Amino acid sequence: MTDTLAISATGLIKKFGDRRVVDGVDIAVPTGMIYGVLGPNGAGKTTTLRMLLGIIEPDGGTRTLLGHDRPRDASDEVGYLPEERGLYPAMRAKDAIAFMGALRGLDLKTGRKRAVALLEANGLGSAVDTKIRKLSKGMAQLVQLIGSVVHEPELLVLDEPFSGLDPVNQERLEALIVAQRDRGATILFSTHVMAHAERLCDRLAIIAGGKCRFEGTVADARGMLPMQAHYIPQQDDESLAALLPAGARHQHGAWHFAVPPEGPEGVLKTLISAGHGISGLSIERPGLHDAFVRIVGPDALKDDENSARETLENGR
Amino acid sequence: MSNPPTGNFRRLVRQTLTIARRDFVATVFTPTFLLFLFTPVIMLSFGLIGGVGASSMASGSIEKERMVAIVAVAQQPAMRAADERLRRLFAKDDRPPLLVLQAPGGNPAAEAHHAFAADGADASAALYGDLAHPTILYGGQGGRDATYLAELAETTLRAGGQGNDRLSTATLTPISRTAPSATGHNQAAFFTVFGIFFLTLLLAGQAVGTMAEERNNKVVEILAAAVPLEAVFLGKLLGMFGSALLFVAFWGTLVSQAGALMPANMAHALGEIGPATGLPLFALLFVAYFTMSYMLLGAVFLGIGAQATTPRELQMLSLPITVLQMVIFGIAIRAASRPDSWIAVAAEIFPFSSPYAMAARAANSPAIWPHVAALAWQLLWVAICIAVGARAFRRGVLQSGSARINWKGLVGR
Repeated sequence: MTDTLAISATGLIKKFGDRRVVDGVDIAVPTGMIYGVLGPNGAGKTTTLRMLLGIIEPDGGTRTLLGHDRPRDASDEVGYLPEERGLYPAMRAKDAIAFMGALRGLDLKTGRKRAVALLEANGLGSAVDTKIRKLSKGMAQLVQLIGSVVHEPELLVLDEPFSGLDPVNQERLEALIVAQRDRGATILFSTHVMAHAERLCDRLAIIAGGKCRFEGTVADARGMLPMQAHYIPQQDDESLAALLPAGARHQHGAWHFAVPPEGPEGVLKTLISAGHGISGLSIERPGLHDAFVRIVGPDALKDDENSARETLENGR
Repeated sequence: MSNPPTGNFRRLVRQTLTIARRDFVATVFTPTFLLFLFTPVIMLSFGLIGGVGASSMASGSIEKERMVAIVAVAQQPAMRAADERLRRLFAKDDRPPLLVLQAPGGNPAAEAHHAFAADGADASAALYGDLAHPTILYGGQGGRDATYLAELAETTLRAGGQGNDRLSTATLTPISRTAPSATGHNQAAFFTVFGIFFLTLLLAGQAVGTMAEERNNKVVEILAAAVPLEAVFLGKLLGMFGSALLFVAFWGTLVSQAGALMPANMAHALGEIGPATGLPLFALLFVAYFTMSYMLLGAVFLGIGAQATTPRELQMLSLPITVLQMVIFGIAIRAASRPDSWIAVAAEIFPFSSPYAMAARAANSPAIWPHVAALAWQLLWVAICIAVGARAFRRGVLQSGSARINWKGLVGR
């Protein structure tokens, strides 16, 4: 089994003081896939990634990284972008990338050559000889990301890689992640922004409160919820609610409700018979966001929204 | 799937050197390093300016100082001659103030008191009355001059009966030693201890802030993910040591050439100073013990500095270490002056004073084997300090539950 898994972890536990930040997490990341670790703030995502990489030791459980019981033994085959970005401000962009490669076994000369090529390929050709302190935050972040792939690792671990990037750079990063997968690398990334996960992930795990609440594909996650109908009546009044399935809610001039397991036909027939008519109707599979909220619970959503608001307020 | 131990060790060395190289380049290729390189010039300049100022103040006041002797005119030639003879016994800078001879008036006691109140010159001491039973007045700092005047009175009286001619004429002949004396060994020991202490104090302190730099830059996570923390610590220490060696090489070259510019008598005096092991071996041992001293103290600085989160904390943490180092220096100096005493043995065994004390031993004793043992002992403690520092960092900063010392991380798996 481990031959086809880039990462395998069972029952990972990490305590800070008396608090169990990670409480028995199991993760199996198949080789060659993009795997997302989703969860609200404080869910234990970063701690899980740090344990998988051997930066910190778990208090319980086992893990293997690229077949090694000691993650450090695989360090030359791993690229890592931590949540807190960090580069030496006095280094030039190409030197910073080459230095990161050298830490993972790539000689400096090759590292510099690849750095120049990668920077140019990602629209940062003009920044090759620029010192890090003179780069914008987004550019520095891309430089660091390039530094994590310059040695062409088998496994790329990215902790909240999209945070702090503008939409253009987010798109570049998505392309870079896909390109890494296409060359055969396995990518594990954490995020609490569902849109990226939905677009990129082959498989994902949802962590909340230190526990793994879901593991599967995006489609599996979305399939946990019934189809959602969005209905705009011709004649709208209070009596309409009684004709809709339980849990229907009225918002922005439309009614939203879960489609019953037997299909929407029955409900629609009743509505038409009662004279409410149909002005507009759409039936959709719920997004990953809804599935995430359902899986982790509404409290987690609040955390998530607060975090998104903070992110916007901070201009990140 | 584990790699062979040799491969791991090679990788560890390569990663350590990558970090060392980065730190060396980041330290040396900056304008501030030039400033740092010339720190001794700045320190010496300040010292020189202060010294010249203090010296001019001192010489100015010495020029104004006078000893006054109120004696009969008939006794004055004998006293002046006696003063000239006695004065020769003192080194130039140690001579008593100028002697002013004055004939007594109606009230010698009042005249003597008046000498202390005279404008333009300070009397340090004043003599009056019969030379057989003189009264000597002296001010707060004039005790030594008063004694001199008393001796001068005695010498004047003794010379009076014999005339003023010199009775003995000595011949002074300088000699050169063929080997440094025991005192020379001792002085070499002192200079060695002082040299290592000074260089370590000046240079090892840099290590205190290096991990704080990583934390501020947030690079530590990248390093910790790629390289064992022990290798990060060792790499940083080696990088800083590289810049320290550059500093020592620069000043060592300058100082080694300074001998040619020295006055002959000073060079002759320095020639008396020499180590018991012989100069070539001693030079090697000096470098080895400086290395160990730097590594030991640097590792402690690095480990403690890694716990600090702000520059203020860094400063507060450095102070106790510096004080401790001063204490160790004091012990090592004492050990250097008493090579076979218990304090010397204790200083040689205690890891943090061992480099100083053993360097002093190299100056005092020709035996070689204790140095081999001492260097191995000190190296062990360097490894312990690095491992403990990494462990504290892992636990305190990375908040990892496992705080086991990664010995395998240092020597391969």
